[in-house]
Formats: sequence, C-alpha cells, structure tokens
Amino acid sequence: MSSELRFDGRVAIVTGAGNGLGRSHALLLGSRGCKVVVNDLGGSMHGGGGGDATPAQKVVAEIKAMGGDAVVNADSVEAGDKIVQTAMDTWGRVDIIVNNAGILRDVSFQKMSEEDWDLVYRVHVLGAMRVTKAAWPHMRDAKFGRIVMTASAAGIYGNFGQANYAMAKMGLIGFAQTLALEGKKNNVVVNTIAPIAASRLTETVLPPDILEVLKPEVVSPLVAYLSHESCSDTGGTYEVGGGFMAKIRWERSQGKTFANGRPISIEQVQKAWGEISGFEKTSHPANIAESMQPVLDNAQKKSLGGNELIDCDQALGWQFPTLYSSYDQRDLMLYALSVGAAENPLDPKELPFVYEMSSSGFQGLPSYAATPAVKAIIDAAVAGQQAPGLNYGFERILHGEQYTVLHRPLPPSAKLVHKGKIKEIWDKGKNAVVVIEMKTTDDQGTPLFDNEISMFVRGAGGWGGERGPASDQNAAPERAPDQVIEQKTDPNQALLFRLNGDNNPLHADPNFAKAFGFDKPILHGLCTFGYSVRHAILAMAGGDARLFKSVRARFADTVFPGETIVTELWKEGGKILLRAKVKERDKVVLSNTAIELYDSVPAEKPAPAAKPAAAAAAASAPAAAGAVTSALLVDVIGFYIEKNPELAGQVKTSFQFKLSSPDSAFYIDLKDGKGKAATGELASPDVTLELSDADFIGMATGKLNPQKLYFGGQLKIGGNVMASQKLEFMKKLDGEKLMAQMAAEGRLPAAAPAAPAAAAAPAASGALTSADIFVAIGDYVAKNKDLASQVKTSFQFELTGPDSSYFVDLKSDPGKVAAGKLDAADCTLTLSDSDFLDMTTGKADPQKLYFAGKLKIGGNVMASQKLMFLKKVDPKAAEAAIAAARSAGGGAAKAAAPAAPKAMKAPGIFAALGERLAKEPALAGEIGAKVAFIVDGKEWLVEADQAPAKVHEGTANEAKAIFTISDADLVELCKTGSPRELFQRGKLRVDGEYLLAHRLGIMKGLVA
Amino acid sequence: MARRVNVIGVGMTKFQKPGQSDDYHEMAAQAGHAALKDAGIEYAEVEQAYAGYVYGDSTCGQRAVYDLGLTGIPVFNVNNNCSTGSTALMLGKQAIEGGIAECVFVVGFEKMEKGALGSKFNDRTNPLEHHVNVMNKAQGFTSAPPAAQMFGGAGREYQWRYGTKRETFAKISEKARAHASNNPLALFGQRLTVDEILASDEVFDPLTRYQCCPPTCGAAAAVLCSDEFAKKHGITNAVYIAAQAMATDMSSSFMEDSMIKMVGYDMAQRAAQLVYEKSGIGPKDVDVVELHDCFTANELLTYEALGLCGEGEAEKFIVEKRNTYGGDVVTNPSGGLLSKGHPLGATGLAQCAELVWQLRGQADKRQVQGAKIGLQHNIGLGGAAVVTMYRKD
Repeated sequence: MSSELRFDGRVAIVTGAGNGLGRSHALLLGSRGCKVVVNDLGGSMHGGGGGDATPAQKVVAEIKAMGGDAVVNADSVEAGDKIVQTAMDTWGRVDIIVNNAGILRDVSFQKMSEEDWDLVYRVHVLGAMRVTKAAWPHMRDAKFGRIVMTASAAGIYGNFGQANYAMAKMGLIGFAQTLALEGKKNNVVVNTIAPIAASRLTETVLPPDILEVLKPEVVSPLVAYLSHESCSDTGGTYEVGGGFMAKIRWERSQGKTFANGRPISIEQVQKAWGEISGFEKTSHPANIAESMQPVLDNAQKKSLGGNELIDCDQALGWQFPTLYSSYDQRDLMLYALSVGAAENPLDPKELPFVYEMSSSGFQGLPSYAATPAVKAIIDAAVAGQQAPGLNYGFERILHGEQYTVLHRPLPPSAKLVHKGKIKEIWDKGKNAVVVIEMKTTDDQGTPLFDNEISMFVRGAGGWGGERGPASDQNAAPERAPDQVIEQKTDPNQALLFRLNGDNNPLHADPNFAKAFGFDKPILHGLCTFGYSVRHAILAMAGGDARLFKSVRARFADTVFPGETIVTELWKEGGKILLRAKVKERDKVVLSNTAIELYDSVPAEKPAPAAKPAAAAAAASAPAAAGAVTSALLVDVIGFYIEKNPELAGQVKTSFQFKLSSPDSAFYIDLKDGKGKAATGELASPDVTLELSDADFIGMATGKLNPQKLYFGGQLKIGGNVMASQKLEFMKKLDGEKLMAQMAAEGRLPAAAPAAPAAAAAPAASGALTSADIFVAIGDYVAKNKDLASQVKTSFQFELTGPDSSYFVDLKSDPGKVAAGKLDAADCTLTLSDSDFLDMTTGKADPQKLYFAGKLKIGGNVMASQKLMFLKKVDPKAAEAAIAAARSAGGGAAKAAAPAAPKAMKAPGIFAALGERLAKEPALAGEIGAKVAFIVDGKEWLVEADQAPAKVHEGTANEAKAIFTISDADLVELCKTGSPRELFQRGKLRVDGEYLLAHRLGIMKGLVA
Repeated sequence: MARRVNVIGVGMTKFQKPGQSDDYHEMAAQAGHAALKDAGIEYAEVEQAYAGYVYGDSTCGQRAVYDLGLTGIPVFNVNNNCSTGSTALMLGKQAIEGGIAECVFVVGFEKMEKGALGSKFNDRTNPLEHHVNVMNKAQGFTSAPPAAQMFGGAGREYQWRYGTKRETFAKISEKARAHASNNPLALFGQRLTVDEILASDEVFDPLTRYQCCPPTCGAAAAVLCSDEFAKKHGITNAVYIAAQAMATDMSSSFMEDSMIKMVGYDMAQRAAQLVYEKSGIGPKDVDVVELHDCFTANELLTYEALGLCGEGEAEKFIVEKRNTYGGDVVTNPSGGLLSKGHPLGATGLAQCAELVWQLRGQADKRQVQGAKIGLQHNIGLGGAAVVTMYRKD
C-alpha cells in the first residue's frame, strides 16, 4: 500500500533504546526504513553499571534482521554530542531524536538527597538538552527535524515519592514548548509524550496485570507519527498508553479582573475566589499572547476611581431595571394642594390645578414630575435594586439638586415607564455627588419628562476624581427681585405632602426627627420645590403651567412646616432665576435655581383612542394631536440610519420614493458610506417606489403591508424589484422609541407631534383623515337625496392643526360636500382636526366639545343641532366610500366633492371609433371581422366585416374576438395604441381570435 | 475517450400530496431499494452516491442513503432547483464516464409543503432576481404564484405571437391526465376533459389550476455503471446514456425582455442541440419523450425548443395529437409533472425511470410500442436545463 508512512533515508537517534519504550520506538522506526542510532548505556534501571552494550546490540541485530540499518551507541546522554556524532559519522545526518533515556531515584522528599535530585535532572533534562543541542544546528541547516521528548503524568499531575522525577519531566515540557517555537521556522517539530508503559521504570510502580496491558508497542506508533515528515503539529503534549492517545492542553478559568490602578485587598481576592478558581467558564490559552490577553485588556482600562463607599467603575452608567408607576388626576390635584395651590379657592388662576371641571381646563402642576421619579428610585432601593459600587447607606445622603424637564404638559393621568441610570459621580473633596438620571415615558413610549436627581453623599469623596461642573451657576442676581411671592405653609404641611409617596418618617415622626437632630419633623425638600415652582408659574408664566419647560434647583436648607416660604424671582436672559428663603429665619432654602419656559405650549399627547367618548370629553386636555407626516418619517428613518451605521453595509441598495397627494420625493441611500435618508431625488437609484403619501405613512408605521400595497397596485416599483425586499429593515424601526430618542437629543422640533402609534388611530382603516370623513359624508349625502330638503342648512367647517376648510351644503338641492368655503354659510364650526375626527367617529360628543370650548360655533348656533344627521351615517358605507375614494385617488381621499360615479370614457371612445372607421374604411378592413369589447360590464360591437363598418352597443355573442378591458385601460389603449403590453399584463383579455388583438392599434388617439 | 454509462436499475415511489407521504429518507430508501433490486446489485458495490433535493437542511442526502447502508462512500448533495434530479444524474454519469467510479447511485427526493413555491431566504439576494426583473418589466408582478406568472406570462407572449387558444393549452393537461391514468405511481390518475380544465380556477391567464403541476412528495433513484461493471454482473443490453448536456441562462434570457426566453427556452434549445450533435440522433428519431411540463405553457414551448415540431407549430402539433400514442412521438407517457406530480428533487430521476422502463418494454399499459430511443428534458428556473438521450440497442 502506498499510504504506508515510511522513514526511508531518515536517521533517528533513540536514547535509552536498549529496553522498554526506547527499544520499541527504535524497532518501529527501523522497520519503516529509518536508520537508527540505538543509544543505551546498558545500565540497570537505577542507572548503575554501564558499559554493557548487549541490549542495544540486540536491538540493532533485530533491526538488521528486518532488513533495516542501525548502529549502537553506548555513550551517556550527558555526552549528547558523541551520540549525535555517531549518527553524523555513520550516515552524515540526523533527522529524528527521541529523547527517551531516563532514570528513577524514587524517594519521599523528606529523605531525598541532593544527589538523587541532581542525577535525575542530569539524565532527563540535561541529557535531553545535550543530545538536542548537538543535533539542532544540523536540523536547522537541513530544514528538517523531529524531536520527541518523554515526559510523564508524574510531572503533569505530581506523584508521591517522585519529586525529582516530576520536576525533570515537567522541565522537559517547558523545554519542548520553547524549542517548538524556535524550531518552527526551520521545520523542526518538537512534541512531548507522557507515556505510561510497562518498562523498567514502571515495573516498580504498577501491578503486573496492568503492566500487561501497557506494552511499549502501543506507545511507539504515536512517537513514530510525531517523528514523521507528514506531521507538522508542534508544541503538543500527548498522553499515551494502553491503547489510548490524547493531546492535553491548558485550561484557564474565566478568572476575575480587578479594576486597573486600584489597590486589591486580600478580602477582595477571597470574595472573588469562585471566579478565580471556578471552571464554569473557561478558555484555553495556547501561547504567551493568549495567556497575556486578559492582562493587556485590563491594562487598557483606566479606573474611574472610587473608594470603599463609591466604586465609579461599577456604578457609573449602571442602568436601573425599568420601573413602572402611574398617576391619575386625583394624584395631581392632591399634589397641587400639598404644595399650597388654591389656598384661595376663589382665585381662578389656581383652580385649574385642583378642579377637573375648571372653566379653563385642568392642568397638572409640572413640578409633580419630580415626585414619581424620586419615588421610583426610593422604591427600587427598598426592593434592593441599587447600583453596584454604591456602598453607602441612606443616612449619608441628602437630596442636593433636582433637575426636571417636561417634554409636554402632564397628561391628566398616565402610566409611566421610568428608565434610569447613574449619570455622573463627582468627587467634591470630602463629599461626593451621585447624579441619577431618570427618563420617563408613558406606556406608549411617548417621552413625558426627565429628571436628574443629584445626591449629596456625605464623607464619600476624596479619591482624587473630577469635581464636576462649578456650583455657582444660576446664582441669584444682586439686584432686587422682579417678583416676590410669599406663602405661609401649614403646620401639618409635611403630613399632607407625604401622601404623594415619600413616606420617610423624618417628615412625620417627631421622635425620628429628633434622632436626626431636628427639633421636629421637617418639610420635604420637594415640597418647598413645589411651592416655589408654582410661585414662578403664577408670577412669570401667567399661571399657564403648560408653558413650563424645566427647573434646576439646589436644596440649601430645611424648612419646618408652618414657616413662610419667600420665593424671589428674576427674569434673567432667557430664563427665570429663583431663590427661596424661610422668612422667619431668613435662611436661603433653595439657591442657584433656574426655570425655563417654552415659548408656546408643546403638543400634548392625545387621549388614547380606546378611551370611552365620555371620559375623553371629561379629560379636558385639548387633544391637539399632530398628524404624522411623511417628512417627519423621513427624519425618523434618517435618524435610524444614523444610529445604525452598519445598515448601509448590509442593505447596499438605494431607494427613491415618489409620493403623491401631496407630491413629494425623498430617498434612502444605503448603497455606500454611512447611508442617508433625505428629501430630493437620486440620480440613479436601484429601486423606485411610487405610492401615495398616506400609504407611505401607513407602510412606514407598520399599518400597511408593502406587499399587499404592491399587489393591490397602490405601490409601483421600478428598477430592481427584488431589491425592494431589502426594505424589510424598515420593519425593525421602532418609531416611538426613535422619536423619543430624537426628542431627548433635541432633534425634534418643539411642537413635534406625538409618536406615530399614538397619532394614527384608528388603526383598522389606516390613518383616517378629515378629508376621508368628508368623502364619507359626501357619499351619504349623495345616497340620501331627500336629506337636503330635510336639513335645509349650510355648514362651514374650519379645522385647525392642520388647517383646512370644508363645507356641507344642504341648503341647495342636491346637497354638496366639498373642500373650500361657502360665501354665506348658516353656521360655522371651528374645531381642531383631531376633535373633528373624534366627533365624527363617535369618540367625542359635539355638545361636550362645545361646552369645553373646543368647538366654536358661529352664526346660527341652533342650526348646528341639525348636524345630528351625521350620527346616521352608516360606518360600513362610510368605509366603503373612503376605500373607493382612496383607490381612485391612490391614497387617502383628497378633499373631494361627493363621490359621484366617474363618468365612463368608453361611450365617447366608441362613438369616435365609429366615426374613424366610417372615414377610413381601410382601417376597418384591417380588422375585417366583427369584434366586441366588454368594458366594465358594458358591451360594444365593432362590425368591421362590412362596409361601412358600424360601432354600437350590443351583445358580444357573434363576435370573432372579444376584448375585455376596464374603462381606464381602454383610455390607456387609446393613448398608447399599444395593446401588446396591456395583454401581457393581463389588463386586456382576449377570447376568440387572439391575433385580431394585434389590430387594436386603430384605437390610438381616440381620446385627447 | 469517454466511457459509456449504463442505467442498470431504476425505482421510484408513488407520488403523493404533501402531508400524505413518508419522510424524505424513507421515500428515498424505498426508491433506492427498488433501483438496487432492479439492477440486481448490493448497495455495498456502489462507490459514490449523488442525492438531489431542494428543500431541506444540508446533508439530507447522507441521511437518505444511510438507510441503504453505512459503507462510508462519498455522498454528494445536489441542489439545482427543478432540474436537481437530472443534475445529480449528470454528476453520477460524469463520474463513470471519466473513470472515477464503476458504479454510482443517484437518488432524488422531495418533501414539499402545500401551496405554491416561494422563497425561503428573504434576508439575501433572491437567486431569481434577474428573472423577476425581466418579468416586472414585461408584465409587472401580481399576487398569483410567481412560477405561474412566469410560465403563464411566457404562454401569453406565445399566444400574442401565434394566436394560440386557451383550449390548446388545456389539451396538454387533458393528454397528461389520460397518460397518467395508466400510471399507478402518478399522483392524479383520473382523466379530465378540456372543459373541466378550462373551468378550473384561473391562476394566471391562460393557465388554470389544472394546468399547473401540484406540489408533490416522492423519490426516484437510478443505478449507473460502466460497461465493465455491467459485464462483470452479467448485465447485457442495458439502457445507456447516448448523450447528455446541461445549459444555463445566456444573455438572451435577460436582455430581450422576453418571458419565453426568461423561462429557459434558449437553455433548453441549446442543451438539446448539444445532445443531438453528441449522440448523432435527431428529434425525429426519438420514440418517447419525458419533458418538463411544470405548466402546460412550458410543455408547449418545449415542443419547439426540443425541435419536436417547428417554431409556431405547437398548436397544430397538439391539435393533431402528434404528441401522443399514434402520433410523431409520445410526450410524457408517465403523466408528466402535471399529472404524475413534481417533487422537485425527484423529478429528473422519475423521468429517467420512466424512459428506462419504456425502452426496456416494461411500461405496461402505457408502453410506447417498439421504443428504443428516449429523450429527457428537465429544467429549473435560476437556471439549468438538462437534456439526456437514452438508448437501448
């Protein structure tokens, strides 16, 4: 067999080859054509004697008997150069070294002499080194070498009574590993075996029945393979014996990495012992570089500092588990009362904070936004959810500063989702400041407000970290305040305020307060905060809490319930500076405080669609939902692409969108670079998608399926159709989250509309627009011809946000519904677009809208009652009408006249065809047969088999060919005169003689 | 000098509707046992195996042939869309032809899902991208099953050119059902009239439901060997492969905005031409044909691509019944893909089995009298057309 591994022409040195393993290795190599230097001192296993060459000579004779070639060498391995010289002298080369010679001096360490130690070292390690060293230059020059060291399990694992031997064997492994590296370049392969075999060395250790299994002959094949030129694996250690062969390697536990640059205590080591010594997660370093990797990784990390109370590395950036809470209108009113609102119940300015039916609508006090965030953090701490590395107790902390920003006025009730993290940690010298950031959205993901709570941690500073921003910003000016409001708190103020959720006994229990060094329970800092913010709103924002944007306040001292809070206010630059004092003690309690206002009220979140109409009406927050626009979605997509720079590399496609009604163009270019979404047109996009603006919005907000749009003909795709599948990435786009993110980064305009999901109710029919509703009303008016005579009134609708005008004219007969303005409507209704939608879809009661001031009626107010006919509009019929209008208009209904059936073009076309055939008999001759058209169910016969040809309505039965086509496609045919494409697209059906269809070019130009 | 390749054993399962079949490896083993028995050899004598299938994770081929024996031989998994079976056959044939092996085993199997074919991997470029782009340009894209749109569209293009009637397409299905009524292994054994075929649901004009091949589960296998091997086993006068060729898409498939070219007309024509040249046998010499009638429209087009009739003459060829018993040549005596069924990976080998049976005179009621020369045409979109000429002296 040609696949036999041969050693022809190779020269091997096997040390200790007179008996046992060495003999077996030599015989196997010799049997495969290898020339062998059989080295053996001829001593006993304990190394005595010497000079008796008989065993080696026997081996040589055996090799020669097999037809091989071998010589004896009887030198000690300590004279390794002589052994190598034998090979060089005899054959002029050396290719293979099996360092096998060994000796035992087993004795317990207690009794071991230095001679025992030295002798074992000299034979095993020094001997192997000397033989190898002498052969090394020859192997390097020849660019070939195979070296096998013989180690032992005793070295790897230790063995009782073999301290010297284990040392030597393990030494050989390290020796071999390094030679493997140094020899690699010159094809010198070095491996180590840890054999177990019955040899003179093991006779003393193992029982005879096991020795029987452990024949040297089952070890030698591995040695021979490692010595063969086909084996290039180097630096390995193999356990071998009794028929078993396996490679062994190092396994390292995952380990523990301590912060670089920080002292490591013995206790920390003890604490991390599981990680250091556990093998649950492991790696297998195979070289120095891999061994060093964790060290190098750690070296690149610089510790952020800290001490036993605060570990910045662990704590900074730690994110709280998502926290949930909720509040309702009652909570807001209780809060308002607890911060002194409506002390004078007759003051109309403060009633909106505490009375849901207030004539100017209910308003939540914005400072309330700090309460649920702080409570969420306290609740989390009580539940044991605290950032790692913050090892101080409550007793050390003081609420130092509070920053609260509102993205929109507080809804009257909300389910809150809080996401928090440790944002900053500052080393203030003796003390430290830990800043927790808490971002709060509603359960739809709409951002409501953010808080930053700065905790002053006493005695926790001093690790030499950063001090953070200067603390003197927003200082009160020297000049006299522009406004001052004084208000006395009640002696039981804290008892009231704690009902908002901060149950700390410090504010209620006199004994507890005393234990903390206060004469009596103190007022909550956030209560003082609430008073002063309220004062600022009253004095500087005309009492309109919706204009409030943010407050940054520093708690400087405590207030006792019953004391008088004096809020001083300055208008300074774009913001309001605030300082609060306790009048009785003339102490500053809020310092360095600033408030920002919005220029106009930011858009509020609309009431959820599922809310019953009555409740919606009761919740008198104006539902001025901004509609999601395609332009906004392009921004969102652009933002998403910006945040996912890898997208371009994956998608590698450019998309051009052309939207209609209203027309616009934008592109998503993910072809190269970082990707981009912007308005405008690309020079050569891969794919072009044409669809209506409304359908695009539906598609981008996940309400409409692009495939269905495509198959339904609402989406036209040009260019590489298959590439349009790559738009799948848009499905991953979480619009609400992205918009929340954009808002947080200040990337949305102040009056940004609410998140798509919230704005786009009702979901079932895509985004319903007021234009749609008027289509439905138009349809109803057209179908109920007697309506005009009953109602006899004309209505003008003025919708706001977005602004539009429609009229419903039932004064003239037949009635008319259209966009635009009537000259003299009986009655004008002004309301927001979204309220109009709610009203007409039954979600809001017109009367309630009217009484809430959201619906203004001009002209004849009583006439508005006649609008009750709207309640009779059958929703299904309305839906059908809207759908029809959409498919005709390619999207959401445009502001349209009543959906009267579109006039068919076919009659005109066939009349014109009749005229044409009469004028040009030759054309009729081209057809020369009776053919029929079925257009949207109506039949025309073209009798072109006679002169003059006739075209008239009639049954298709007698025709040779029947062409079935829609009115619209018939128009298309007349425009292009090209029936082939219509046929291939299935828009022109042919029955009978197909080839007559080729003649339909005669229709060309029959419509203008 | 290439060696001659003999087909000494064939076998196939009864073709079944999805959900009613055994698992793929059981079907493959059943067809394999039948083919080995037919050849009269042991699996241990097989030196290589080629396994074709389209739907399934990698190495289904091994799992399938392991039921026949664990002999450690090389097993190659083959996937080439609807032409998978004949592609596997071609690889096996090349191994023997080139002297690499003396005896190989080829099996094709498919366990299909209900419903029309679709794409399985939507996170990457679709391999039919170029084809779909041609279609989109020529006729747009509708909600009909994509394959029916492609082949139906090719039918439309042909209709427009030659005025072919819907009835003519339906007649192909009528013939397929009639042939299948004599094939106990076929999925659809009952005959249909042209009226019934035309009255079935329209899938994509001119194709109605009964003009589309059904999703099918089944397996078929063949044993190939060299002359020397056959001799050693005392096999004389075996069916042999006179010539075989594969063609893939050429620029005409995509550059001419033609549905007919896009669905593989030119590939089929080129492969057939190569086979005719290599074998020295022309279309007029052929007695029996198994061709790829995934849709009636494709059978019609293939008549012309293979040269069974002249260009534009297919309607006449069909109406005059020159495509069945008593005509010029019997096309798809097995019932074809339309009636026997189309388990993608198995089809190419089921065609092979039918032709071997026909040339040996073992086709019972559907036997084409005195058949000595058989032609096989198997095509896959994407694409590949494999044409094979079989002969028995």
